[in-house]
Amino acid sequence: MSPSPRTEPDLFSTVSEPAQPEPAAVWSVSEVNHAARTFLEQRFADIWVGGEVGSWTRARSGHRYFTLKDEDAQVRCVMWRRDAERLPAEPEDGMKVRALGMLTVYQARGEYQLSVRRLEGEGEEGLWRLAFERIRGRLDAEGLLDPARKRAVPRFPATVGIVTSLEGAALHDVLTVIRRRAPWTRVIVRGSRVQGEGSALEIALAIKALGGSGAVEVLILSRGGGSIEDLWAFNEEPVARAIAECAVPVISGVGHEIDVTIADLIADVRAPTPSAAAEAAVRDGSTLLEALEGVRPRLIRGLTQLSDRRKVQLQQTFIRKVRAMHGLIGPRQVILERRSSELASAMGRVGRHCRDRLGSLASRVEALSPLATLRRGYAVPLDEQARVLRSVAQFQDGEVFELRVVDGSVRCETIQASQEA
Amino acid sequence: MKDQEGSTLEARLQRLDQIVATLEGGDIELEKGLALFEEGIRLIRESEKLISQAELRVEELIGPGPETRALEGTGE
Repeated sequence: MSPSPRTEPDLFSTVSEPAQPEPAAVWSVSEVNHAARTFLEQRFADIWVGGEVGSWTRARSGHRYFTLKDEDAQVRCVMWRRDAERLPAEPEDGMKVRALGMLTVYQARGEYQLSVRRLEGEGEEGLWRLAFERIRGRLDAEGLLDPARKRAVPRFPATVGIVTSLEGAALHDVLTVIRRRAPWTRVIVRGSRVQGEGSALEIALAIKALGGSGAVEVLILSRGGGSIEDLWAFNEEPVARAIAECAVPVISGVGHEIDVTIADLIADVRAPTPSAAAEAAVRDGSTLLEALEGVRPRLIRGLTQLSDRRKVQLQQTFIRKVRAMHGLIGPRQVILERRSSELASAMGRVGRHCRDRLGSLASRVEALSPLATLRRGYAVPLDEQARVLRSVAQFQDGEVFELRVVDGSVRCETIQASQEA
Repeated sequence: MKDQEGSTLEARLQRLDQIVATLEGGDIELEKGLALFEEGIRLIRESEKLISQAELRVEELIGPGPETRALEGTGE
């Protein structure tokens, strides 16, 4: 406290001495305001004050000025920009709130005021709820909450994207579920802070980067449980718009069952928890195996029916072809038979002619035979080797030879062979 | 998950759906049907193998593009 009075004013001195005395010390205005301010700030550094908001004003500087009042009194309040920026929503006049702050003095005017660091609406989640409803109203007016905007999630995504904190339990939960149900999946994570100042923008960028990377077919946006303040980033417009504009369907799994965020309302699928979001993203492999089990007999049945049908078709085709052949052959059969008998009789004629020719040839051959000559009275001498003896020189005196006549042979002996002169 | 043939489980199951529908529809040549049947059985085998033998791959998107790297410390 400075400057501090050098002596305490004596209350009783004025009674005994009515004349105005020379004051022992005179404070300047600044001094007294400063002293009051210091006193208030030390004495009322951290107090909660409840009341109704009045004259809420947002100055160009970003500071907020307002009053808190009850039926009988009011107090001036200020909330500096840095604190005011953390407000989920600007309160409305007449709204019941409670403010945490410090009593102080605006020295330039000598007015005391409450410097508010934190302002909460009364009732459940107060200003947060108000802010939520305002954002919801805006997005609804733009049609972003229209159920018709919701896209279908692929049945068996090969790649799943996750936007979440790399440090959080939510990531572990999601991965555990996907590993159990669909281990063939490729998971691509984009880490982001999920609470605190600037986290909404970071989440929005992560959604945009991962959704637009072309690497994932569906995107899970998740965060573990927390207070409405912890989950607030998921209620902010940048996140809502990033989800709405995301290139692939988004499944939200934020907080617990009871927490509903704006992100949940915009997402294509809202799951109550991170684990549930993972379940919504991937099918269970074991049920898939069962389904596949049922496909095999259907293939077999399909093929069997197809081949049965083909068999019938083939039989019918065969019968049709045979009939067609009959139709083709029928009229020609008669001709064919006639031709064949003609051929046979022709062959017969040829045969007879041959026999006749053969007979005449035989008789001509017979005329040339030596037997005919012998029949006319000639004989043929043959030596012991059955050689014809044609010349005198072939006959030796005393030699035996055979003389062949028409009806037998005569054994002869050469008495004398003499050559004709 | 892409395999060596570059075909995803989803693509396989869709093709399988098609094959079953075509075979059951019956409006095809027997030769074609047989080929489809063989393809279907092969798809079932591959899918079953993929489902029961796969191991989850976890990567982290690192850049503004599609580049990723393996994400450590996410195993059980």
